[in-house]
Amino acid sequence: MTAIRVIVNGAEVIDNVAPRTSLGDWLREGRNLTGTHLACEHGVCGACTVLVDGEPIRACLMLAAAGEGSEVRTIEGFDADPLMMALRDAFHRRHALQCGFCTSGMLITAWDLIRRGKASSAAEIRRGLAGNICRCTGYTNIVAAIAEAATAAEGVGDGE
Amino acid sequence: MANDAGGAAAGIGASLLRREDERHLLGRGSFVPDIKLPGTMEVAFVRSPHAHARIRGIAKPAGGERRVFTAADLPRLRPIRVETQAPGAKSPPWPPLATDKVRYVGEAIAACLAPTRAEAEDLAAQITVDYEPLAAVVDAPRDMQGSRHPVHEGWSDNLFSERVFAGGDIEAAARAAEITVRREYRMNRQSGAPLEGRAVLAYRDWRLDEIVIHASTQTPHTLRVAIGEILGIDLRRLRVVAPDVGGGFGPKARLYPEEIILAALALELDQPLRWVEDRTEHLLTAAHSRDHHYQVTAYASRDGRILGIDAEIVVDAGAYGLWPQGPYQEAAMAARCLPGPYAIANYRCRALTVATNKTPMGPYRGVGRPGACFAIERTIDEVARAAGRDPVEVRMLNIVRPEQMPFTSIGGMRFDNGNYPESLRLCAELLDLPGLRSRQRRGEPDGRVIGIGFAVFAEQTAHGAAEFVARGAAIVPGFESCTARILPDGSLVLMVGIQSHGQGLETALSQIAHHELGIDPARIAVRHGDTETSAFGFGTFASRSMVMSGGAVARASRALRDKLNRIGAHLLQCDVAAVRCRDGAVRGPQGSVSIAEIAKVAHLRMDGLPPGVDPLLEAVATYEPAVGTGVFSYATHGAVVAVDPETGFVELLDFAVAEDCGTMINPMLVEGQIRGGVVQGIGTALYEEIPYDEAGQPLAGTLADYLMPGAAEMPAIKIGHLHTPAAATEYGMKGMGEGGAVGPPAAIANAVRDALSALGAEVNETPITPRRVLAAIEQARFRVGGPTG
Ligand code: FES
Ligand code: FES
Repeated sequence: MTAIRVIVNGAEVIDNVAPRTSLGDWLREGRNLTGTHLACEHGVCGACTVLVDGEPIRACLMLAAAGEGSEVRTIEGFDADPLMMALRDAFHRRHALQCGFCTSGMLITAWDLIRRGKASSAAEIRRGLAGNICRCTGYTNIVAAIAEAATAAEGVGDGE
Repeated sequence: MANDAGGAAAGIGASLLRREDERHLLGRGSFVPDIKLPGTMEVAFVRSPHAHARIRGIAKPAGGERRVFTAADLPRLRPIRVETQAPGAKSPPWPPLATDKVRYVGEAIAACLAPTRAEAEDLAAQITVDYEPLAAVVDAPRDMQGSRHPVHEGWSDNLFSERVFAGGDIEAAARAAEITVRREYRMNRQSGAPLEGRAVLAYRDWRLDEIVIHASTQTPHTLRVAIGEILGIDLRRLRVVAPDVGGGFGPKARLYPEEIILAALALELDQPLRWVEDRTEHLLTAAHSRDHHYQVTAYASRDGRILGIDAEIVVDAGAYGLWPQGPYQEAAMAARCLPGPYAIANYRCRALTVATNKTPMGPYRGVGRPGACFAIERTIDEVARAAGRDPVEVRMLNIVRPEQMPFTSIGGMRFDNGNYPESLRLCAELLDLPGLRSRQRRGEPDGRVIGIGFAVFAEQTAHGAAEFVARGAAIVPGFESCTARILPDGSLVLMVGIQSHGQGLETALSQIAHHELGIDPARIAVRHGDTETSAFGFGTFASRSMVMSGGAVARASRALRDKLNRIGAHLLQCDVAAVRCRDGAVRGPQGSVSIAEIAKVAHLRMDGLPPGVDPLLEAVATYEPAVGTGVFSYATHGAVVAVDPETGFVELLDFAVAEDCGTMINPMLVEGQIRGGVVQGIGTALYEEIPYDEAGQPLAGTLADYLMPGAAEMPAIKIGHLHTPAAATEYGMKGMGEGGAVGPPAAIANAVRDALSALGAEVNETPITPRRVLAAIEQARFRVGGPTG
């Protein structure tokens, strides 16, 4: 077992993890943060996307032990975030989710695209979503929702 | 999130925003793997690495007694057996854990238990199975009449079933033909690949004396029936719950060995057990789909009128039949859909369902239709080419016209109504066909060639008893149910037998109750996917839930309305004929009383009830459409592609759908279903494939080899609607969940053919990969340059 200390959604967590435990499994099983979904566990689908030190990361590919000393933010850690609120509202109004299994990863990826100014056109958003699979929606409404939230965010500031 | 319901904007025809969204947007959905029970043991399976082998022995590690379970350890596990009345069909037994033989790579042999999945996998790696490998049956057309080692013992061939569908006089059509077109088509094997794989959590509830099974399934009630039958226990001792389900698309509408095994283990052990399918297991063991081979001969007159179709369909169904419907319906449905939405007088089709050493075949959005649509629509384009006419013109010439409705196709499909030619015209307009044709003549500056292709189809939906009985089905999903209960405060709970996993049925069904009762959708709960809460129902598949469950909600709501009116009239002291239930209240000539007030009387103040009226506000209703052969949605799909003849790469430039699904309860949800289906169809057309090698090894085991459509390569999808309400259903609804996935392979293949027409190349196999495009171009060059010229 490896001792780790990680800030998860703003709170410090100290835990012992098996060296082979992925960050995704640890968040879901160890921290009960089940909003992070696992759909391929080999880095292709993006369903498990979380922020580690502000960067989007595939929680299925990173080991929990490697999270030592870092700051992790999952979908549950955005409840009061204005940009995430705008995204959630746009996803709702644009019918950008069906089964909801890709949604956490989509939202975090979209949040990051907007923050980095990489959501200025439909084509740019589509490129930015290349690592996130949605099997249900056909993407059209996801792209529209992100474009809308990006436009709204210009007026709001950087969302933090 | 704001509550968007209110007044008329929430009823039938309103794009009411979804009540399902909030929990998923907050990351607070509840999928099977999200449910935590203390002491849960994780299950990993030992699975066959061989396509076909005898099992000579299984050796467990020391100390593995209560942690490793084979078939011998679980005598309760009786084989899965599909009953069928289909003539001549064979139905082999399928032991949930393999006994003496394995028949596909991935077949489960032993279940291994440990506190974590990783440890359970470690344990599984310590089991030694002694195999005697056998030659695998992998080529369905080659091996269907027999092989050295048939898939099932005692069979002389490898055929699950063989049927001939015929009408008219195909020989006469052949004699009269001025044009004869012959083609072979292939739609390759793929996965349904919902983003969430399968998952099962099972435990014993001592207080209720039952086994509770949480499963990622589309059909909880029938799953309970099957598990009860196979394990030999009363259904009252089984509860099946499908909580949030991360997509289904058909593969989750079947019973799987893992569900039975976990239920059996829960009976055996006093501990919750969980199995969560990983992606490789999903690609190996969840139902595969498609895998159709077609040989089609079309006979036509000089101007392109189709006189007859002569065909053979071979479906590679894998090793076993999945319960309840077995492997038979795929080929039969394809045979009946092959004549398409066309008025064709003569038809003959031999449909064969073949057992191979591959993963069992199951339904996937569209079932037999995408293959049939691919075969007939490609053929129509070739007939047009032979006649020297535009494919749209030749379709117009052959298509069933509105004045011919209702029309029974030569495949036996009874199209109820609609304007099929108009959908074709509208689709061409959405794409700006004349503009594209002139762009095509001008040529592309980058050296690519563009092409336009269409596909028209009619889609049988919400079929009831008549259809399933005709198919020889042992289980006849001919109805749905709803229990509607108004609570003492006037809020409403609808308990339904279907399962919603993305379709938005929690929202759409509340719109129907709102339409009937005027209760604000925010005060309506829809409970589904749980055998404990609702009356029996079949679940969500076959584009049936909105029509069937919606019909049941309508009827249950009306029964409640009658009772509300009687109590309301009594409270208003007027005649029941003088009151109306509207906007959440019963209104009489002199005043009104709210549903909440009536509900209070019906529960808490029964002294206010009229004489002879019982307390409670609860109604159970079932519904089946007036016509059991289905109501037909229809659509034309149009694709615009750019093909690079140097690389074979196909880019999708535009895609349009012109469709008619009758009355739309929630147009936003309808369009969501269409777009999602289309992108799945694009996956079939261009990317998704599970090839097998000669030894029966599947070659796509991760999402790195199994390509799914991503946002970057998808166009925005245009949609146009026509509106022809069905006569046989409530409000004129038709089902529409699957159509999106039916048309794209055909439309895209036709577009590729159109783009490559100058080169004389065509691709008649999906997915249309760069390699296949280049091979087709190469072959066409060889034909032109070769000795036969
Ligand atoms: S689960 Fe991590 S990328 Fe798919
Ligand atoms: S909504 Fe189901 S995978 Fe995206």
